[in-house]
Formats: sequence, structure tokens, C-alpha cells
Amino acid sequence: MSTLHLGGVAVYQQQHCLLQPLDLTLYPGEALTVLGESGSGKSLLAHAIMGTLPTGLRASGELRQGSQAWPLADAANRRALWGAQLAILPQEPATALDPTMRVLPQVAEGWRGAANQAHAQAHSLLGSLGLHAAQRHYPHQLSGGMAQRVAFAAATLGGAGLLLADEPSKGLDSQACATLAQLLQQHLASGQCLLTITHDIALARALGGQVLVMRGGEVVEHGPASQVLQQPRHTYTQQLLAAEPQAWPAIAHPAAGDWLLQGRGLSKAYGSQTLFRNVDIDIAAGERVALLAHSGAGKSTLGNILLGLTRADHGSVRYRDGLPRTAWQKLYQDPVQAFAPHISLHTALHDVLQRCGQPLASLETLLHRLRLSPDLLARKPSQVSGGELQRLALIRTLLLQPALLFADEPTSRLDPLTQQDTLHCLLDELARIGCALLLVTHDHALAGKATSRQLRW
Amino acid sequence: MAALTQHGLARVLGQRLLQALVVSLLVATLCFVLVQQLPGDMAFRIAAGRYGYDYVDAAAAEAVRQELGLARPAWQQFAGWLQQLGQGQLGQSLVTGGAVLDEVRHHLGATLQLAAASVVLALGLGLPLGLASGLRPGGWADRLTLLWSVVLRTLPPFLLGLMLMLGLSVQLGWVPAAGHGDSGNLLLPALTLGLGLSGLTARIVRDSVLAVVQSDYYRFALTKGLSPWRAFWRHGLRNIGVTVVAYAGVQLILLIEGVVVVESLFAWPGVGHALVHAVFWRDVPMIQGCTLLLAWLFVLLNTLTDLLCLAIDPRGPAEP
Amino acid sequence: MTDLAFLPWHRRLAWLLLALVLLLAIVGPWLWPDPARQDLMQFLASPSLAEPLGRDQLGRSVMARVASATRLSLGLAALCVLSAALLGSLLGVLSAWRGGLTDTLLRGVADGVLALPGLLIVLIFSAMAKGGFLTLYLGLALAQWVEYFRMTRARSRLVLASPHVEASRLLGFGPLYIVRRHLWPELSPMLLTMASFGMATAILALSTLGYVGVGLQPPAAELGLMMTEALPHYSEAPRLVLAPVAVLALTLAALVLLRPLEVTR
Repeated sequence: MSTLHLGGVAVYQQQHCLLQPLDLTLYPGEALTVLGESGSGKSLLAHAIMGTLPTGLRASGELRQGSQAWPLADAANRRALWGAQLAILPQEPATALDPTMRVLPQVAEGWRGAANQAHAQAHSLLGSLGLHAAQRHYPHQLSGGMAQRVAFAAATLGGAGLLLADEPSKGLDSQACATLAQLLQQHLASGQCLLTITHDIALARALGGQVLVMRGGEVVEHGPASQVLQQPRHTYTQQLLAAEPQAWPAIAHPAAGDWLLQGRGLSKAYGSQTLFRNVDIDIAAGERVALLAHSGAGKSTLGNILLGLTRADHGSVRYRDGLPRTAWQKLYQDPVQAFAPHISLHTALHDVLQRCGQPLASLETLLHRLRLSPDLLARKPSQVSGGELQRLALIRTLLLQPALLFADEPTSRLDPLTQQDTLHCLLDELARIGCALLLVTHDHALAGKATSRQLRW
Repeated sequence: MAALTQHGLARVLGQRLLQALVVSLLVATLCFVLVQQLPGDMAFRIAAGRYGYDYVDAAAAEAVRQELGLARPAWQQFAGWLQQLGQGQLGQSLVTGGAVLDEVRHHLGATLQLAAASVVLALGLGLPLGLASGLRPGGWADRLTLLWSVVLRTLPPFLLGLMLMLGLSVQLGWVPAAGHGDSGNLLLPALTLGLGLSGLTARIVRDSVLAVVQSDYYRFALTKGLSPWRAFWRHGLRNIGVTVVAYAGVQLILLIEGVVVVESLFAWPGVGHALVHAVFWRDVPMIQGCTLLLAWLFVLLNTLTDLLCLAIDPRGPAEP
Repeated sequence: MTDLAFLPWHRRLAWLLLALVLLLAIVGPWLWPDPARQDLMQFLASPSLAEPLGRDQLGRSVMARVASATRLSLGLAALCVLSAALLGSLLGVLSAWRGGLTDTLLRGVADGVLALPGLLIVLIFSAMAKGGFLTLYLGLALAQWVEYFRMTRARSRLVLASPHVEASRLLGFGPLYIVRRHLWPELSPMLLTMASFGMATAILALSTLGYVGVGLQPPAAELGLMMTEALPHYSEAPRLVLAPVAVLALTLAALVLLRPLEVTR
């Protein structure tokens, strides 16, 4: 594989420019990572190179290798390169696999060489990815991490010199993310080019090479990973790096009070799969506790059991006397799903005000403190950004003066900057009313900063 | 053939068998209520059915009443009614006096012939048109099938049949209008039913094709380097089949209802025609026999689509 | 109500057609009052200013008969749809809410009814009291409720299991609130769509039964029955057949076009 040049790549919707022209050079064996928040136009780059932009969008610029050039405006001229020279790692591996076909043939069909070797090649590649046992599985029988590896095998079996990875770590837990980074490094080690598009700073750090920071369709900083991720020059990059939980300054936690809740000998299984067995948990008033485990380990289920939403197979939960039923509240991973979809936020929040007999002023104060415009309330839940809606969900629970808030991955769907902002709001408000926090997360750094005690299994 | 597992097989068969039982019970109950509702003396009607109206007198009716226990309380009669059905006795037609089982069996062939011809016609038209529409959304085939399906939805089957009859038979004289004999007679009923089903079939195929072609896995297959034909062959056909077969179950209702209407319209001597005839004469045993047969046919066809689904989709048929 | 100017053309056409059919059904019988009065002297009389559609084979006013039949069809269909929707959706919500035995039993019954195509149910009922308005109503309503049950149950289960209902329960809201704010807004558009489909099905079934002679009986003015009765006179007076055909087709068209064209069922 030789060096690839991309000259003046840009994407337009009619006259409106979605991705400003940019020049890139991809060297074999060196990663190039495009870093940016969602909506920064970075995904368009991968589709512009591949020639798979949605209808209505057009690309300009060209792809060059040696003396050959492919103008990007003509999407069809790169079809012949697909599989053999250009490959894309899909964003959602679970939906990118044919549900009616077994794993092995799906991977084998990516082989570009002699047809009779396809199965043997796929077989050995899957084996090297630790998927030997899954070859005869159907996609619905795979876990998220396994599906990611199968998609990787299918995309790379053809031996393409340039692999485009579009948000490859989306929806993966930290363990699967680490495996993914290894896979991508292996690909680089074999002397191929890699262009990764992500919002995951940890992944960019793991891959090294060159980093490109994008914001609003524009490149704000470009350089070697060691320099951009260690001594960023642009303020936006600095903010982005400071928003990583590892970089947060230490947060002072309030002292724990009397006991609030005691879970004893809790066990839960779904069918033959045991989630957890014999777990004891205590939470004191005002305390901040994190539940840390990889996905599928039943963290959310444990939280739901403590709140009385799910019944445990064994064990019991004791609550402190004298607290109303509404003293136990929950914040959801996806705030859009936590609001009735067809009801305006105004109605939803006023219903709660009426229910708990609070004056309108308390809502206004909270809106003001969380820097939310009252105009937002006229909208439906789906018309508000994730960060704003999560803060509105927080306000909704705060109106009830809760004693414990169970926050189930409350910021995992938010961009780093919004995550930082939302979580700090949450901690400030809980401290103000002395409410305890039970935080479910898979992010160890986040748990370390936001809570004083972490439970893992 | 993928995962035709024993577990999936047992689940489908068990569910459908249960459904057949419940529907039989339902039909039997409705028919029993129907008997109780009938004006006039049931025993007299049955006796007349057996011996002819000219030979019936009060004594014969009384004998029948004793024999069949028609003087018993309603619930005992109902239990007896169900027991008879459980033993596979469908009774005699009140009109012809023949055994319902024989009569219905006699009609079944004609119904199956009509249904098969219509399905073949509907698929023959609907599959290619649907494929063409789905592969080129917004193209001429797409617009044609959309128009066709909308027109058909506003045009009841009996009107379509009437128009075909007036057009092809009365005006042009190409085909006989009604009856059952040579193959020409099948043409009009099959055309009515087949054309009626073709619009929906085409749209279902079109939607399935579009969904598959726009799916992530289909696009991924293309970027793996598969040629469009190879991608369609390996990833398109089977997945389109899964959706089409799943929808076919819903469409079967239209087939069964259509059979009843079209048979009556063209005097095609099938089960549906016999049913409408029996309803007209209030021939309860025949009503029960015909309805049961059509309901079982419906359940059987549904079972077949479930099994087909099970065979091509490893995830099996969707939970109801 | 949506502003008419923003509706796609077919919706606007549908509302126009529906308004015309409703006008015929409401004002028609008032202008041409007696659909049953015979006047054999006026056998197949041609259209005139007073009788825009002329008179039929028994000298009855075709306009009066068409208007009366339209009112009958729309009225009966609306009644059926209302009853079926009410029964089906109440049972559907109950089934989704209670789960367990209630759900199993109701689903068993619904599965059985589903295995019986609606037209067969209506046929059995029409045999009970030939030409009876009430039995036809019962049959049509019973043939339709299960569809509402199935859809309402499926949708309600999703809604009731959703995080937003869980959140409302945690916030201390009761069942009434959950119905009002969560279930109803989710179910009502679906129920409206199904109702327009159900109206078309009921109108179609009624006229089909009339046409094959097992629905309402003469001298009732019913669209299907009118077509059968007029068929022998088709060559002399095609308008006798075409008038009910046109009304039926336009009514069905209005109901079909009300929904998005792409609906594949």
C-alpha cells in the first residue's frame, strides 16, 4: 500500500457547505483520526471518500494514489475499489450483518481472491479474532462486541489498503472498546492505511498517528496525536480534552448521613443467565455511590430493584421510615424516552408541580439555576437537545425533593462537553437538597470523580 | 434452509392447533345460537330435510325431536352439539338431505382450484411489478402499482367482478360469464380475485424490496465489494422473502373472503358459494360445515406461512 | 384541525368527497323523503328536474333510494366501528395492563376470532335474522373488534413498558394520568386510522351481503341490493346500477384517500 492523498475534500447540500475543503495525507501504518462532537460533519468525510453520501449531498475534491486520481464528485468511480482498496467499518455492526445468514459466509464473501479460498481465509481470520466458535452463529446470537469483530473481519478480508472506521466505538463498553483499538492497531501494523472518525478521545489516544479536530464542518487543529492531545493549541481542543472525566478537577463530596436504604442478599437471573448473586448494598443520606461493571452485568437491574421497579429473585430491600414513595427517583440514560412523547414539556412539568403542590416559582428558580430558557418548555421532548432534556428531567425529579436519585448512565449519550456540564449541574443540585446519588456507569474515570464510593463486580 | 428447529416447529404447530380448536368452538357456538334463533320448529325443518316437505307431519317431527333430544334444556343440547362435532359428525343438509361432509368435500376441489389460480395470478403480476417498483422508487412501475393498489382499494371485489363480467363476457363475448365446466369458466373468477390481490401484493413486495435495499447490511454487502447482482442474490432475495411471507399471512384473510364473494358472484361451485347458499336457506349444518372448512383452510395456510418463515428466517416468526 | 392548504392533494380530495357523501346522507333523505313509495305508472321514468336520477323498475324515486341507502350504510358502519373500537381498545388496554391470566384468556379468544375471516362471521349472523338490522350490526361489530384489540394491546404493552411510564409512576402519578398523558396520545391517531379502514370494511361487507342476497332484504334501500335489483334493467336504464356503484366507489375512495397512500393493508 502506498501513500494516499485527499485533496480539497468538501461536502455541499445545494449551495450550503457542510464540510469545509480539507487536504489529508494517509501514510501506510500510521493512523489518522478525525475527532469532533456529533454534528461536526465528520461522518460526511467517510461517505464522501467512499462515494456513499445520501442523495441530495454532493462531494468535491479528489482521491490520489501515485499517478492515479479519482474525482470525488462522481460517486460511481470508486465502486470498483470497494472491498479491494477501500473498505468501511460500519457504524452499527449489529444492523450491518445480514440477519438471515451465518457469520462465516458473510465474512467469506468479502474475499477478493480466488473463490475457492474464500472460506478458508474467512475461517482463519475469524479464528485469529477469537471467533472460532461463532462461525456458524446467526447475527442475533452475537453480543455487541462479537458483532463488531465479525464486521471488522468482513470489512477487512478483501485486503483493502484504506479502512474507514466511522464511529466504531459507539455503543461498546470499555472492554469491547479496548479490543477494538487492538484490532485497528493490527490493521495498521500490517502496513495499511486507517482513517478513524470518532468522538472518543481515548480511542484517538490509543491509535496515535495524526489527529484532526473538527468543529462545525471545519478543521480547527491538525497534527501528531502526541502534540494535539498533550499540548493543544486551539481553545476548542483544550475544552474537549478538559471535558474528559480524567481531566476534571477533584469534586468535594458531602459527608454521608444516616442510613437511607439497605439491600441484603440480592440475586437476580434472567432464564439461565445469572446477573448477580448475593449482593449487599447500603446507601446513606446524601451519599454518592457508583455501580461499575461491564455491560450485561445487571447494573441497571440492581438499581431498579433498589427502587422497587424490579423484583429480586432473592433478598430484600429496607427503606428508612417516614419517607414518601416519591422520595426515590430515577434519571434515565436516554432522556427522550423518559418523557411522554406527545406532551409538551410545559404540560409535563406543570403536571408535576400540581401533583406535589409546589409553587410555579420553584420551577422558575430551577430553570434559571440550570441555565435553561423557559421558552424551551413550549416544545415536545424530541425537539430539545439531549443535554437540555436531561437537565429538564433532573428538574422534574428535584421538584419532588427526593432522598435518593438513581441515575442510570445519565450522560453516556451526551458529547463530552455536555456530559461535563450536565453532571456538574446534577451534583450541585443534589448537594443543595442533600439527596443521595446512585450512579450507574461503565466509565471508571467518571465514577471516580463523581462519587465517593464505587461498587464493582 | 436454516434453523427449522424442533422447538420452533413444535411452537408453531402447537399454537396453530390451539387456534384451530378455538375457532371450531367459536363456529360451533355461533351455529348453535343460530339454531336457537331460527323461527319455526327446528324438528319440523330437519324432518322436512330428511323426508321432503310433502311427507312431513307432526308425528314425524315429534320423532325427530325425541331422537335428537331437541326438547332438552339448551345447555344439554349445546353439549350434545359439541359432542357430535367432536366425533366428526357434521350432520345432514337441511335442504338436500345429503351428508354435509360429502357435500363440502365435493365443493372443496373447486375452491382450491380457484384459490390456487388466483394466487398464481396475483404473484405472477405482483412479484415482478413489486420488484420493479422497489428497485426504482418513484419510477413508472412504482407509480403504476401505487395507483393500481389505490384503485383496487376503492373498488370492492364484486364491483371488479361485475365490470369484468360486463366487459369481457357481455360486451366482448370472450369468456362464459358463470358456471363450472371447462377451463374458460375459471378465467373470470380467477381474474377477479387474482387482479384484486395483485395490487396489494405488488405494494408489499415493493416495500420489502425497498426496506432491504436501504438496509445497513445490504449497503455493507456492497461496500465489501459484492457486485449489485451478487448482493441482491445473496442478501436481497431471502430477506425480501422473509417480509413478504410474513405479510402473506395477513393477506390470506383477503383470499378467503374473496373466494366467498367471487364464488357467489360467478356461481362457481365452491365452498364459499355453498356457504352463501346455505345462509340464504338457513341450512345450519351446511353453514357450520362450510365455515369450519374455510376457517381450517385459513389456519392451515397460516401454518404453512409460519413454517416457511421458520425455514428462511433463523429468528423464526415474530411473536403475535 | 390541520390547515387544509398544508394537506397533500389526496387528503383534500378525500375530505371533499366525504363532505359530498355526508351531504347526500344527511340532506338527501330530507329532500327526497320516501324511498319505498311505488308508482308503477312511472316505471323506469327518465331523469327530470324533480327526480335527477329518474325512477326505478317499481317507479320508486332513485334519488330517494340512493340517499336513504347512503345514510343507512354510513350510519350502520359508524355504529359498528364505534362499538368495535370501544370494545376492542378497552379490552386491549386491559389485557396489556393486567397481563397474566386476563391477557392469556383474551388473547386466546382473539386468536380464535382472528382465524375466522370477518366476512364469515357476518355471514353467520346474517343467517340468524335475515334482513335484520340489529344482527347485521352485531355481526359486523364482532368481526371487527379483534383488530382493535390486537393493535391496542400491542401498542399499549410497548407504552406501558416504556421508561416514560415508569418515570410517571415514580413521580407519583396514578393510572388515570397514565391513560390520559401516555396511552391516549399514542393510541388515538392509530385508532382514527383504523376507524377509517373499518368504516370502509363495514360499508363494503354490507353492500356485498346485499349484492349476493343475504344482507338486508327488499324493500330496504341498500346499495348492494339496489345493484342486484337493477341489473336485469341494465340495458334500458344503466343509471339504476351506476348510481349506487358511484356512491359506493366514491365513499370508499374518500375513506381510502384519507389515509396515507402508502399504507399496505
